[in-house]
Amino acid sequence: MTAAPWSPRVARLGLAAVVLFAVLAGRLWSLQAIQGQYYLELSEHNRMRDLKVPAPRGTIYDRRGQPLVSNRAAFTVSVLPMEVRDPQRLAETLSPVLGLARADIVARIDAGRRRPFEPVLLRRDVDQTVLATLEEHRLDLPGVLVQAEPVRAYLFGSLAAHALGYLGEITEDELRARPGYRMGDLIGKTGVERVYDDVLRGEPGRLQVEVDAVGRPIRVLGRLPARPGRSLVLNLDAALQAVAEAGLRDRSGAVVAMDPRSGEVLVLASAPSYDPNLFSGGIRAANWKRLIGDRRLPLLNRAAEGTYEPGSVFKIVTGLSALSEGVARRDSTFECTGALRLGRWVFRDLAAYGTVNFIRGVQVSCNVMFWLLGRAVGEAHLARYASGVGLGQPTGIDLPAEASGFIPTAEWKQRATREPWYPGDTLNMSIGQGYVLVTPLQVARMVGAVATGDRLVRPRLARRVLGPDGAEQQAFDPRDDPIPLAIPPEALRALREGLLAVVEGGTGRAAAVPGLLVAGKTGSAENPRGIPHAWFAGYAPADRPSLVVVVFVEHGRRGGEVAAPIARAIFEAARPMLLTRAAGPGRP
Amino acid sequence: MNAYPSASVRARRHWPAWLRQVDWVLVAATALLVAFGFIALASAARGAPEAEGLLRTRTLHLALGVVALVVAASVDYRWLGGMALVIYPATLLLLLAVLVGGEARMGAQRWITVGPLGAFQPSEVAKLAVVLTLARHLEVVRVLPRLRSLVPFVLHVALPMILIVRQPDLGTALVLAAILAVMLYVAGARLADLAGLAAAAAAVTPFLWPVLHDYQRRRLLAFLDPGGDPLGAGYALIQSKIAIGSGQLFGKGLFAGTQNVLKFIPEQHTDFIFTVIGEELGFFGAVALLALYLVWLWRALGIAGGARDRYGALVASGIAGMMLFHVVVNIGMTVGLMPITGIPLPLVSYGGSSLLTTLAATGVLLGIRMRRRPS
Repeated sequence: MTAAPWSPRVARLGLAAVVLFAVLAGRLWSLQAIQGQYYLELSEHNRMRDLKVPAPRGTIYDRRGQPLVSNRAAFTVSVLPMEVRDPQRLAETLSPVLGLARADIVARIDAGRRRPFEPVLLRRDVDQTVLATLEEHRLDLPGVLVQAEPVRAYLFGSLAAHALGYLGEITEDELRARPGYRMGDLIGKTGVERVYDDVLRGEPGRLQVEVDAVGRPIRVLGRLPARPGRSLVLNLDAALQAVAEAGLRDRSGAVVAMDPRSGEVLVLASAPSYDPNLFSGGIRAANWKRLIGDRRLPLLNRAAEGTYEPGSVFKIVTGLSALSEGVARRDSTFECTGALRLGRWVFRDLAAYGTVNFIRGVQVSCNVMFWLLGRAVGEAHLARYASGVGLGQPTGIDLPAEASGFIPTAEWKQRATREPWYPGDTLNMSIGQGYVLVTPLQVARMVGAVATGDRLVRPRLARRVLGPDGAEQQAFDPRDDPIPLAIPPEALRALREGLLAVVEGGTGRAAAVPGLLVAGKTGSAENPRGIPHAWFAGYAPADRPSLVVVVFVEHGRRGGEVAAPIARAIFEAARPMLLTRAAGPGRP
Repeated sequence: MNAYPSASVRARRHWPAWLRQVDWVLVAATALLVAFGFIALASAARGAPEAEGLLRTRTLHLALGVVALVVAASVDYRWLGGMALVIYPATLLLLLAVLVGGEARMGAQRWITVGPLGAFQPSEVAKLAVVLTLARHLEVVRVLPRLRSLVPFVLHVALPMILIVRQPDLGTALVLAAILAVMLYVAGARLADLAGLAAAAAAVTPFLWPVLHDYQRRRLLAFLDPGGDPLGAGYALIQSKIAIGSGQLFGKGLFAGTQNVLKFIPEQHTDFIFTVIGEELGFFGAVALLALYLVWLWRALGIAGGARDRYGALVASGIAGMMLFHVVVNIGMTVGLMPITGIPLPLVSYGGSSLLTTLAATGVLLGIRMRRRPS
């Protein structure tokens, strides 16, 4: 065989391959034969520590850039399972120092046995005396580690606690549902901390260090830096929020303030509140028991999770349906005689107001007029319009566990109670009594729909996501997805005129703010649990609405006397903002 | 055939002529390498919930690869050369399609989704396409002892290379450069001219620095100083060295590795699969793997040397160069001799497009061998 012209060059390539492979083999020899013992010790013996470097969670700001939630430096005590020879004895020593049950410590160490190189967390955020005690007994506590770990700090304590939420250790169920999390991770349990956990949490890093025989680090072998969480800018206005919470004082209730044009939520308050800082380092059993056992339910977010009878606030729906269906007009007249006879039954009003037109009827909240309107429209239309303005369904706000509320129908009643829908049920429904249940947030959305007249917005707490460098990564614009609303203009005009009259000289006088056109509706909702709930739901400026305020006071008795003044305080505080358009709560 | 009790010799004599022409040594080396990959994958994925799925997908890829191998061996390779004017633009279009409509994973846009087979990586196939078309180019246009005469071939490879760098897939782009160098060399280019090309490339590189992605720069820097790298790219390298080193001479035994639980070493079943072999099978296992690759390369280069025509020789040596570069760079990376560029270990790493391409390339080699010069 004669050699082809390319043969010598191909042969030289083969030689090059042999040389390169020899280099690789030589390197393998050096790694595996010569340094093998060293690497084996690193990998198998207790000379390597794989430590988690916690990622600082993102900051939460209010709409003006005021930080609401950040992190503070704290110390975490954990233990390396492989270093512990006698978990019982260790637990005995640590139990009084850390304030943890002995069995709990032993269980945690045992659970960590499967990954013996990884520290098992015992307690976050220990104080100085604990640190000192641990340092003193260092030699008796093999495997116990103290690591710096940032802990969540809620800078204004209980302010906006229900909107912000709190953290807790991830549960087994959550672990299964959310890949990428690990045992012992802190996770948002409620509020925006939960909904935006992905945004806020960041990615923990790892640090591998080689340690000497007594566990002191000698050098860093590998480092995977933590990726800090991103920051969240909320639509909340901390100053207005403080006014709202001050207004509620020691009562139970909720306040919602929202820009009806965009759905930006400026205030979301629920009282009584709690201090989310209690949860930051893992909540102590005593504190948890106290919060859970409190009969005033401080953990309940009354603005979004509580459902209540709307009372006269529901008359907005009744009025809207009557005007839209042509059952009444602005100048239709009604005889407010103080009572309405229905067969054998007599429905009694609080007072007789004489002959009123629609505007006056709204102003004084004449039950008789709304009974007549409701009866004329019928319960099916009432339910349809109630759903149309968003009652009886979640608003879609960025909060977990939002309640739906309830709008009754004739079929539902037949099914649930085995009784037909009586005409009396319609009368009750027209004034927001009976079976109707709403959340304060739904009422805010409804009033917003009346204020703008053309859209049902989705309330939103989150405004923007900022990267670690402070640059905007994502902007939430709720105006992108409002549900369009078709209300006849003359119906809107009459209803708004009535709502303006309520504050100017009717039941809502206490909400009036000098120099600001405020419109609204009061409610005193009878309920099976006691004293009526007090409501006020309104908006301002009435000619160009940019802020909706809903105040709900549980068992507050009179909406006009208890709820309206709280709304006034908020409108007053927001007045400069509402009057100067440029700095208004619309998107700047 | 059944009538004869003593098997192989007689049976072979009855094989059809073309089957006797098959390079069974190359086939065996390929099969053993694939087997290595299966075992390593099973070990790397052990305990992970996706383990079964990975193995099943691997089997599917293998079946497709074997079909590709048989087809590539059956088609006359000279016909493939004649198709160069179709193959080359089609490859460029495919690479463009990835950039425009591809699917991004782990920060790179390298995949195109193809129905139930999952995602497909055109840059892998592009390597083989470049070998087939560049060989044709070198067959038609002569390489002269002048640096300038190399320019058309450089452009031939540069076009797909740029598209691949844009994805960004630096590793595969470098494979193309290696293929170019090897094929030019075999085609007769002067070493001085090749050195000139290398110098030109080195001169251009600083200008590429700003074009590189952040993570690519970090990897290059981490290679220079892994221990002091504060940004984490050194992490994988140290993990990889600990895993391989701790395997010592005989390894910790199959499925007994401690470092190779999926999470510990990143991308372990793909680019870092060699760490599993090094840890569990030790120095001897790792060297056995190297030996298999050497056998594969020996056969490939033998096929190049014995090819019937210049085109076949160029194709075979291009494929050999591709394999050599992949193996040296991938293993070199896991043992800290090369920067982390993220190219797979052919036939062993998990990755359908890579397996498919390498088996097809093996098929082309077999085809060249079956049609070799009569000796």
